[in-house]
Amino acid sequence: MPSNNSDVVDDIRDLTPVLNKPHALLPFLQLQSATSLSRLYQSPSSCLSIFRLLDSIERQLVMNLLWLESAISLTTMGAWVVQDQKKVYDDALDMLSKLHILHISGKLSLNTTFKTSLRHAITGGGTTGSFGVPAEKDEKRPPMDVEGLDGYALERWETILHFMVSSGTGQTPTRPSQGVLYLLQRSGLMSNQHGSLPQITSAGFQFLLHPPHAQLWDLLLQYLHMAEERQMDLVEVLTFFFMLSTMELGREYLTENLSQTQKAMLDDLRDYGLIWQRRATSRRFSPTRLATTLTSSSPSLPTSTGAASSSQQGFIVLETNYRVYAYTDNPLQTAVLNLFVSLKYRFPNLVVGSITRDSVRRALNNGISAAQIISYLTAHAHPQMRKFNPLIPVTVQDQIRLWELEKERLKSQEGYLYTAFASQADYEFVLDYAKQLDVVLWENNAKRCFFGSLGGHSNIRNFIERRTSGAT
Amino acid sequence: MDGSHLSVVVDLCPSQWHLSSLHQPYPLDLGSFVSQLLAFLNSHIASRHENSLAVFGAFPGKSVLLYSSANSPSETPSNDANSFPPFKMVDSTIMHNIVQQLDALDQGLDEEAPSALVGALTKALCFINRLTLEFNTSTANATEGLEPLTLSDPRILVLSVSPDQTTSYIPVMNSIFSAQKLKVTIDACQIYGPETVFLQQAAHLTGGSYIYLERRDALLQYLTMAFLPPPSIRQTISVPTQDKIDFRAACFCHKNIVDVGFVCSVCLSIFCQPVPVCSTCRTKFPIKTLQRLNAARPSLPLTSASQSRNSSTPPTPQKINGHASVTPSQPLGPGGLPPSGSINDNSTFHTNGAKNGLGLSG
Repeated sequence: MPSNNSDVVDDIRDLTPVLNKPHALLPFLQLQSATSLSRLYQSPSSCLSIFRLLDSIERQLVMNLLWLESAISLTTMGAWVVQDQKKVYDDALDMLSKLHILHISGKLSLNTTFKTSLRHAITGGGTTGSFGVPAEKDEKRPPMDVEGLDGYALERWETILHFMVSSGTGQTPTRPSQGVLYLLQRSGLMSNQHGSLPQITSAGFQFLLHPPHAQLWDLLLQYLHMAEERQMDLVEVLTFFFMLSTMELGREYLTENLSQTQKAMLDDLRDYGLIWQRRATSRRFSPTRLATTLTSSSPSLPTSTGAASSSQQGFIVLETNYRVYAYTDNPLQTAVLNLFVSLKYRFPNLVVGSITRDSVRRALNNGISAAQIISYLTAHAHPQMRKFNPLIPVTVQDQIRLWELEKERLKSQEGYLYTAFASQADYEFVLDYAKQLDVVLWENNAKRCFFGSLGGHSNIRNFIERRTSGAT
Repeated sequence: MDGSHLSVVVDLCPSQWHLSSLHQPYPLDLGSFVSQLLAFLNSHIASRHENSLAVFGAFPGKSVLLYSSANSPSETPSNDANSFPPFKMVDSTIMHNIVQQLDALDQGLDEEAPSALVGALTKALCFINRLTLEFNTSTANATEGLEPLTLSDPRILVLSVSPDQTTSYIPVMNSIFSAQKLKVTIDACQIYGPETVFLQQAAHLTGGSYIYLERRDALLQYLTMAFLPPPSIRQTISVPTQDKIDFRAACFCHKNIVDVGFVCSVCLSIFCQPVPVCSTCRTKFPIKTLQRLNAARPSLPLTSASQSRNSSTPPTPQKINGHASVTPSQPLGPGGLPPSGSINDNSTFHTNGAKNGLGLSG
């Protein structure tokens, strides 16, 4: 089956450029108006965070222009670019101008607001207070330590994921708060069609296999969309996200300087595990690791607890005989594995199962793709597995992809079957007309019938009616 | 490991900085230099959350680690809503350490001693080596018997204001070789003073960039455009490279930078005149070769050469031996090993600043 193999190769190639994809937030920012972006750029912490989300070339271009007082001509800047990398450079300029960071009009210059704010961020100073107002040390009630914050964030986050993964299985795990449930439904990750209990959707299954960092941004982007509908001020919401991302882990901050919108957000963010507060009415809050690593690519889920640390290292061993050994005692990881592995035994620190046709087909039916399964296995492979090249055994990889192709063997299309023609001439006459319209999906000369697509039906019917009326 | 590591070696010799602040047309004093340096360091940390940084100061006679992002902060800086905590941390730690070291200099240490630039460079290399080892143990690569990983894009930036010290030729070359082995790029910027031969060579041999700063008022812009991009970006946005490199070496006997030198064909030690016995490896050369080489030398009279030859007993034999154990496999320049027609024969090499490579004769 050479064709299948070449498909597999193509699929692998499709997976690789994921690294160069712009951050999920940037397309959202591009959609915002110039005025709201300009308001956003007034805060040094926002500028710093957006700067970090940019690609490395874009960052360097911004830095090159940051300390210049006057605009620089396009040719001067272009002279620094290596010729065969021109496209990368042009893409970078394009991205920056879409974000309204860069003005290109014969000459290149940074957005003045952005320039001033980023300079403030780098040199310090200014009076914007955009990095959050830290609280004085309270001797009686010391702030939550880093381990405590990590535990809290992990517990909140896994509650959400665990609720999603076990929604269809009849188990009843802890329910996340009403706000979280609403967000999950709004974002299409869960649906509420079947009775009262929300059910996970195929988008939700795909979401579960994403790395934690992408999951977090997925949810926050949904939150931003929801904020638009709730008439919240988007700029303030974004500013608060970026402020959180520049805060220091293990330190308390005051809520007093926050705007009304941002204070309202505290409740939501507490539910997601991004911040911790002693009480809902407390005037202080501490960001957790989920929040402070928003603009970095370092693991956003805490590494303090045993289960999580093994997930950072990778815990899955996959053999060429389709057996899966997962060194974990984390119920969430087990549940996620259960999506596409049929589990056999469970030990205190080990789960054993195997990838079978049925288990993979179940996953495919849930909307998970073969590529996602493979990338999940790759991302969580045990250090022992990393000795092998390729990391996932080729037999298993190919088989999973073949099972996916097998599922796509049938495709349905709506249309009309034209049959019972009076003569072969009639049949051919109509068929020729239908072929001219390019609406024939299937034809059988022996049985004098053909199948036309839905779109072409009215034309063909008119044609036949005209012909029958003309004949009589 | 996504972030890139930058080690900065800063020359903080007070006397040179004093001269620099008086130099026309572009005076630059230590204060404004440090503030521009801090902005540059902050830009490096700003680029990525994972970027790491170490700063080494070269003071007269000693070198000090001024800041390292690997060490956990001893004290958290005071609360401030207007600055990013990591930047504040870098700024305050570096300022505090520089002031402390300069105060210590006032209390009677030798201010005239040349700055320990090489010491600082070596410490920077050791630091990168340590990071590499820690990184490998943390990912359990060492125990699993896998290829040791190198850090992505480790770099050293040398900001110098002092002229070359010819005595430090051997340690500088050794640093360059270990940098090549560790795949470290060395960038160099001579902010004040004469062009330095050794830093040019260091940058050239490790694929880095060397800039002789003429417009000292534009220091920050130079730093940002030439030294901020890590090697991966330099494939797209180029950085200035040297059009000519001074490849001259210093002789092992008098530590002079030589235009025409004599190389021991066994251990590749360099001498400024023909010697009967190599001071490094004790190889004896035939008297006829010596005579021929001496006759071929254009300028120096034979008598002065023989006098200085008597005085040229190995000055620091241990050091040179130590060097010799490193160099045999390493060519002393990009031209490669000198071809040895007969083993006991002193080879002469000419160096020419404008051409890359060693011209061989004799």
